[in-house]
Amino acid sequence: MIPSLPFDDRKTLVLIQGDPAGIGPELLIKLLLQEGVREGAKLIVVGDPAIFARGETQVGETIEGVRHAPLDAAVEIAEGEILHLDMPVDGIAEVPVAQVSGPGGASSISGLHRALELTRDGIADGIVFMPFNKESMHLGGNEFTDELGYARDFFQLKGRPSEFNVADGMWNGRVTSHVAMKDVPDLLTIPRVEESIHLADRTLKAAGYDRPRIVVAAYNPHAGDGGLMGDEEIRVIGPAVEKAKLKQVNCVGPYPADTLWLKVRDGEYDAVVTMYHDQGQIAIKLLGFDRGVSVLAGLPVPVTTPAHGTAFDIAGENAANVVPALNAFTMCLNMASHRKASAGVSSDRETV
Amino acid sequence: MTAAGAAPIALSCGEPSGIGPEIAAKARTELGASLPFFLIGDPRHLPAGTAVSEISDPAQALHVPGDRLPVLPHRFPDAAAPGRPSPANAAEVIAVIARAVALVQDGAAGALCTAPIHKKALQDGAGFAFPGHTEYLAHLAGDVPVVMMLASDMLRVVPATIHIPLADVPAALTAEGLRETLLITIQGLQRDFSIAAPRIAVCGLNPHAGEGGAMGHEDDTLIAPVVAALRAEGHAVTGPHSADTMFHAAARARYDAAVAMYHDQALIPIKTLDFDGGVNVTLGLPFIRTSPDHGTAFDIAGRGIANPASLIAALRLAGRMQRARAETGAEVRAHA
Repeated sequence: MIPSLPFDDRKTLVLIQGDPAGIGPELLIKLLLQEGVREGAKLIVVGDPAIFARGETQVGETIEGVRHAPLDAAVEIAEGEILHLDMPVDGIAEVPVAQVSGPGGASSISGLHRALELTRDGIADGIVFMPFNKESMHLGGNEFTDELGYARDFFQLKGRPSEFNVADGMWNGRVTSHVAMKDVPDLLTIPRVEESIHLADRTLKAAGYDRPRIVVAAYNPHAGDGGLMGDEEIRVIGPAVEKAKLKQVNCVGPYPADTLWLKVRDGEYDAVVTMYHDQGQIAIKLLGFDRGVSVLAGLPVPVTTPAHGTAFDIAGENAANVVPALNAFTMCLNMASHRKASAGVSSDRETV
Repeated sequence: MTAAGAAPIALSCGEPSGIGPEIAAKARTELGASLPFFLIGDPRHLPAGTAVSEISDPAQALHVPGDRLPVLPHRFPDAAAPGRPSPANAAEVIAVIARAVALVQDGAAGALCTAPIHKKALQDGAGFAFPGHTEYLAHLAGDVPVVMMLASDMLRVVPATIHIPLADVPAALTAEGLRETLLITIQGLQRDFSIAAPRIAVCGLNPHAGEGGAMGHEDDTLIAPVVAALRAEGHAVTGPHSADTMFHAAARARYDAAVAMYHDQALIPIKTLDFDGGVNVTLGLPFIRTSPDHGTAFDIAGRGIANPASLIAALRLAGRMQRARAETGAEVRAHA
């Protein structure tokens, strides 16, 4: 459940509709219809009105109390209304369902840009975006690899932001992500692993954990078995864990990756730092496939999104599950409100 | 032996200083006579108070009361000190495995289940030159190619590479090796799991199965052609799939076994789904072989607290495979 606060005490969140060809428009409307969403925060939607209308048509519902204003209008939100900042994008209304497109990608980028401005200027406290499509973003002229790269540049960050996946109160950050497996070993360095551990520590502290318990996964089978099956644990990961411990991070490892996830699920640890993409993604999708949230960590403001993608296979069919989007919204609002991020988030477990 | 399908399962004792003897006794207590098996090992190594019936022929195990553990005695020079393997016992640990294989090869035993060995103890005590149990069994069977499958009620998964540094995996994967792994898996599922046309889902090596080459080329250049060739030959093989979306319940319903490219890609899902229920199966041997999916657990040996669940699951699966093989009428070696 999302706590309902007196109107003046509510945080302001920016919602972005996501790629128009995917399930984003539908999810945005479904999200706005969820109990507590409109009462929990002041809401700004950034997007082309045609896509908001597309979502309403797909869901078969009309959202009441939407006030449209120009993209650069001064933000004033009255109780009971949703402020829709209109961001017209050429050709977007004609983008068919389930198709990558330049206008779809351009709207994702411009929407993200405006949302980042609103948080930078202190007008909004957090951002929730519906799924973007990387290929559309590329067609739409994004020179960055993804939204994280864009946000990093926008805030001129020195550190390396990173995506965390969260399901049922289990947090997973990774040292390497979208790289070939053969390139992973060279990227595993003591500074990089240590930086990832610190990022997990900072991210969970910002998400309301006083002293996050972090477990660091090994890279090799059986954590290398004392060097018999690879030495990254001895040479790189172990020393990085020790360095982080000296800086008061509550971390352990490297532990064999196959046996640590049930301990995480059972609440022994709050976060897992994994060495490569599938090491964490296999487990977290297995344990929380229909609930997962991605948190863009390392940014000065909370930014979340459902962990799934644009789901072109079911786009436009009013079949999308709103739970991950609702969880993303709840977590973003919690973080913006300095509450524990997982409070009230839908989960398969009895406690989070 | 005419009805080899009904022959008892041979359980090799493994490292007696580990938890093997204890979990063997506990497994008998739980299973009783419902699933006939016999232990090959030294009765002195069993926990004090274990009710034992010594047998001289495997067939006698079928007539031992359910509250007694049938043991085909194999004398070891030393007693078993918990957690401290005796070098003098090492040669006998190996001999027990060879003896069990001989029994299952000639049909006196219907399947082989192996309790864990401690590789280093065997190396130090007897110069054991094999990387592990499985390789030794493959050697005893005539140096046949084998694959390791991990099986539980929720998932069957085969790692195409196993105990090598992860950095070496991309170079270790070959089209020939992968094809062999897939064919052995398909044949094993047909013969020992009664699945006439097994559906095999193959994991990509790279994130998102390489996403068209943007994150590694092996998925497109190595894995995809092997899959395509097997499909052209009529096998229900698909992939390479993005491994992270292969293991939730809806995805698992679409295949009979997954083939992973490396150890943790297979072990993470099976351990996360069913920590104790996972069983190690060796496919490709002429006989059925299963083993629990854990080691000798020296840290808790001799304390009476070892969990027999994985061994029990291994024995049960060996029994099911034995029935499946008998039903499918595949090769069962008659007693010579």
